[in-house]
Amino acid sequence: MTLEQKLAALRADVDVLATATPETVLGSLPNWDSLAILLVVSHFEHGHQQTITGAQVRACRTVADLLALLPHKP
Amino acid sequence: MQSSLTHVRLAGIAVTVGSVVRDFQAEGLAAGQDPAQLARLAKAVGLRERRVAAPGVTALDLCADAAARLLDEAAVDASSLDAVIFVTQTPDHPQPNNASLLHARLRLSKAAAAYDLSLGCSGWVYGLHQAAMLCGAGAARVLVCAGDTLSRLVDPNDPATAPLFGDAGSAMLVEKTGEATSMHFVFGTDGTGASAIIVPAGGARQSEGAVSSACLRMDGAAVYEFALREVPPAVAGVLKLAGWTPEATDHLVLHQANRFVVSSVARKCGFPEAKVPMNLVEQFGNQSSASIPAAMAHACAEALQGSRSRLVVCGFGVGFSWGAAALEAGPMVVAPTLAFPR
Repeated sequence: MTLEQKLAALRADVDVLATATPETVLGSLPNWDSLAILLVVSHFEHGHQQTITGAQVRACRTVADLLALLPHKP
Repeated sequence: MQSSLTHVRLAGIAVTVGSVVRDFQAEGLAAGQDPAQLARLAKAVGLRERRVAAPGVTALDLCADAAARLLDEAAVDASSLDAVIFVTQTPDHPQPNNASLLHARLRLSKAAAAYDLSLGCSGWVYGLHQAAMLCGAGAARVLVCAGDTLSRLVDPNDPATAPLFGDAGSAMLVEKTGEATSMHFVFGTDGTGASAIIVPAGGARQSEGAVSSACLRMDGAAVYEFALREVPPAVAGVLKLAGWTPEATDHLVLHQANRFVVSSVARKCGFPEAKVPMNLVEQFGNQSSASIPAAMAHACAEALQGSRSRLVVCGFGVGFSWGAAALEAGPMVVAPTLAFPR
């Protein structure tokens, strides 16, 4: 899965990231809230079979930081 | 802990809900919340309306109504009950327990045991296990009531908890049987998660405090992570004990926290959505320990009344505490879900 594909999948599952780019600063989004964090956790769980915590999501500054939580599979 | 019990059956269930309907959008708008944000929450989490208890009505009242209707529909004489177990975290009083008060209301025999279990969303499964153990130890018939009025514990100004909870009371009859039936259970606890769902004040540790300390506080993300982490292994555990697969199971009935949680956990358990009731919560709210029988009565009544079904159930929540069971149920009494007072 390419970075672009990962971003597209994330945008589809997390409403507040619908138009986000890798450079988007999460804290600048008006609805970057506890629901958005839950949706990201759910996206990782079901889209990538990867368990992450809300704390890991909260520690991310940008969308690129979120995508970096995914393991790189060449 | 794992447990398997034989020669016991679930003979009937009944659920009584609060009579007051609260609309999620209307409540949020009245509280001055952003309409777009309300719509977003409604869509993502599955919040529409809930049923709460009328002023003065308690979990005891709701459960007593459910119990009386269940005994009537099952044509069971209350004097034949060997025990009554009451699962609640919103009892009428610190003392005496709700089970003793219900014992008097139903005019049970003085030979009947009566005790409470202080558990929340995992409590119905614990109650079923307690009753099944009693039947294995000499009791012929046990009544278990599980219910709460959590809508009274939330801060009405806390958008993270206020729109979630409904009030309900349930009753179930568990009986000893000569049939070679079996029930399989898996229980677990993670007390390090205790602060994720807590009402800080009102007990002996903090008998008085600020109003906010007397309200339920919940870390929704932590609870979601807990459910995804602990429920699928518990469900897999009871499936293994029973020798079943998701394909060979008729229904997976999860605690109805909200549609988002139920859908997500069911998916990780490997069950298709068609086998997992999850629309109930949009109509009634999170009914705590009564949500599993409420979902059974709402989505599986016809199957349970007419034939034998393979059920896997799992309750999970405050504690953190969880309990799963695999059992064959039916034909059995499923009383219609009604509001109280009517």
